[in-house]
Amino acid sequence: MDVAAIQTSKLSKNYGQGRGLFDLDLHVEAREVFGFLGPNGAGKSTTIRCLMGLIRPTTGSAHIFGLDCIRDYVSVKRKVGYVPGEMPQFGSLRGSEVVAYLGALRGGADLISVRRLAERFNLDLSRRYREYSSGNKQKLAIVLAFMHRPQLLILDEPTSGLDPLNQQEFFALLSEAREDGATIFLSSHILSEVERMCDRVGIIRSGRLVTIADLDELHAIRFHHVELDFAPGTEVPVNAIRSAAGVEEVVASDHTVKCIVKGSFEPLLDALRGATVNNLVSHEPSLEEIFLEYYRETAPTKAMTP
Amino acid sequence: MAAYLLALRLGRWGIAGFGAVAFLVTLLQAAGFYKIAGRTEAERQAFGRSISVLASQFTVIIAPPIRPDTVGGYVQWRAFGFLAILFAIWGLASASGAARGDEDRGLVGAILAGGLSRPRMITARFAAFATGALVAALAASAGMLVGVASGGETISTVAALQAALVLAALGVCCYSLTLLFAQFTSARNSTAIAGVILLALFLVNSLSRTFDALVSWRWLSPFHYYEQSSPLTPGGTLDVRAALVLLGIAAAAAALAAFAFRYRDVGSPLISLPTPSRRPSYQMSRSPVWRIPVLRDLYERRVSLLVWTVGLSALGALFVVLTKSIVKPLLAIPELAPYFALFVNGNIYASFFGYIWFGFAQLLMAGFAITQVARWSAEDSDGRLELILSNPVSRARVVIERLIVLTFGALIIAAVSGVAVGIEAHYQSIQLNSRRLAEASLLLVPFTLVFGTVGALLASRIPRATVGILGAFAFASYLTVELGPIFKLPVWAQDVSAFKLYGQPLTAGTDQTGLVIMLVIVIAGLMASALVMERRDIGA
Repeated sequence: MDVAAIQTSKLSKNYGQGRGLFDLDLHVEAREVFGFLGPNGAGKSTTIRCLMGLIRPTTGSAHIFGLDCIRDYVSVKRKVGYVPGEMPQFGSLRGSEVVAYLGALRGGADLISVRRLAERFNLDLSRRYREYSSGNKQKLAIVLAFMHRPQLLILDEPTSGLDPLNQQEFFALLSEAREDGATIFLSSHILSEVERMCDRVGIIRSGRLVTIADLDELHAIRFHHVELDFAPGTEVPVNAIRSAAGVEEVVASDHTVKCIVKGSFEPLLDALRGATVNNLVSHEPSLEEIFLEYYRETAPTKAMTP
Repeated sequence: MAAYLLALRLGRWGIAGFGAVAFLVTLLQAAGFYKIAGRTEAERQAFGRSISVLASQFTVIIAPPIRPDTVGGYVQWRAFGFLAILFAIWGLASASGAARGDEDRGLVGAILAGGLSRPRMITARFAAFATGALVAALAASAGMLVGVASGGETISTVAALQAALVLAALGVCCYSLTLLFAQFTSARNSTAIAGVILLALFLVNSLSRTFDALVSWRWLSPFHYYEQSSPLTPGGTLDVRAALVLLGIAAAAAALAAFAFRYRDVGSPLISLPTPSRRPSYQMSRSPVWRIPVLRDLYERRVSLLVWTVGLSALGALFVVLTKSIVKPLLAIPELAPYFALFVNGNIYASFFGYIWFGFAQLLMAGFAITQVARWSAEDSDGRLELILSNPVSRARVVIERLIVLTFGALIIAAVSGVAVGIEAHYQSIQLNSRRLAEASLLLVPFTLVFGTVGALLASRIPRATVGILGAFAFASYLTVELGPIFKLPVWAQDVSAFKLYGQPLTAGTDQTGLVIMLVIVIAGLMASALVMERRDIGA
């Protein structure tokens, strides 16, 4: 049996006043893509910093490929590529020098690998770090994390600052890393991002793991706010919409209908058949709304702990 | 009002720090006057003559004293002359930070996005600094009044307030000029360029005392207008016209800066040359420098290391020249014998040089160590240490590498400046024992490491407070040694100073006990900081 890529047991970091991370039990299999989802301040970065051995847990333990994250922190880093939540300052160093500097700390970086990654993201390494935009700094962080083909990638909100095209490129890179056998631990506060890449998703809130869901469960959790604008003269099929599966909280006024759609859009679209819809707007709820919805539905069985 | 309060808040540590230093400097100089000038009229006149002769050798840097036989004249020359330079530096640092540093940090963008106009923002910053400078200058006057009271005398409060007003006006003037210069330079160069211009303005005034050709140009210098007032000296007054000129320059420069700021892009100078386009490169640097531990860090900070090395070497050579020109006439003055007896023994030239240069060099090397420690703290708070430790390197290795880099840096500075001093001493025909000069220079390395290891320990434990604590420790240590003989502090109190451990190697040879204590501190500090670093939370 393969050793777990990440294993935490009752991992806690107590900053006092209810802040921190509490009793986190995680088990991430090797070659798994695990999403770690939570709103800002939920404890995602604290978890990652414990895994990276940057902060010492108050209680509990964390292991990466069987190595203790605190005791064996140097050996752990040989297996890990890391994108931090925020890139530090490197002042007047050029991108090429930052890569050489940090690559040397690993005992050397692969020139070809660096070149391929930089070309892929169109990252000009001859420019000084201070001239980089936030997107370019994030690209550099990605180059640094991937350049040595690590067994485990720990990525703290890796797409922040990237434009949509580079986000696409990043997800393609993640897919390739996954095919090459890497384990990926992807922290994010964007539901669609983790949904797109991950086998399983851990949801954290107020420092506590709320649930670990697979993709099907995730789809069940997610919902959309939908607003329909009907053409004048069209009979608004309010009753059909109300009776459509997965459609809730329907509010109709004049030619506008607002509702929530859980799961597939198919039943709603069936209910609209024959009506002229001028405009249909759908947007994802915030994570907080998802949590409230999740707790509302599971309140009898799952206690919400701060 | 909100922008003004925010600007005050941003500068609160500067106000507190410079205010405290200003208070201490005037307090110690005023109280020190009664310790060294004597009590009788004859003693004070003799002291005044001695100081006038001594000061005449330094007119290239500071204006000659007026009535140094009185506490007012002495403090005006000794404390307010020094504070003028200090307030100019404060104005420079504060304005370049406000004008360009805050732009780099995104603070200016955030404030402007809140709806504040650019001229109002400059006005708020200007008003906040003026308030801070006035508070700090008043602290200087308060320190002097307390110091004078300690001697059982009094001095006009109005004169003290006038001295504070002129000092604050000079600081504000330098602030506004820097604010103006910063509009025309890149953020990276703003401090350096404004610093060079202010230095030039300072030198135009100070050198005009020696070189007549510069007299017709000194109207350009704010320092010239500052020197027109000497309210603390008996019969001295506030030159209202000169003070108004200072304030007028300040207001005009701030207005021009606000005008220029309206027309430039945030983050760019008012006038910038287009950069030539070039093909992007996707190659990692192949320089072998980055692969060699320690060397890569020395290479990264090569510019600052060069500045420190050249600066210390030039200052060392300058001190040799000053020694020659000062000691020779002073030896002819019998009244100075008791004053020198406090500091000098053995060969007068070597003693004098050893005292003034290596005392000052220690302070500078402590400053060098503090800048390195500040960098370590910054690496922790800005996330660079986190990124370094995401690689397979131990925390102990990080601590050890940092101290080795500091050792090599200090060694380069000490060795080069020692050679520069030796060469200049040879040209000036000053006999310095070569072996002792080498010892004295190299002893600066363990001395620097004392501050480095204490700083490493502090940076491992409380990174955000490290620079302040270490700076205060260095300043207090320096004052203890410099003022200990004057105030007749107990020996144990003087022994606590880090500067005392260095001894007087140029005249008395290496103080073996001091060296051993320094090495013990270095080794203990290294081990303790490595241990603390292993156990602490990064970025906490």
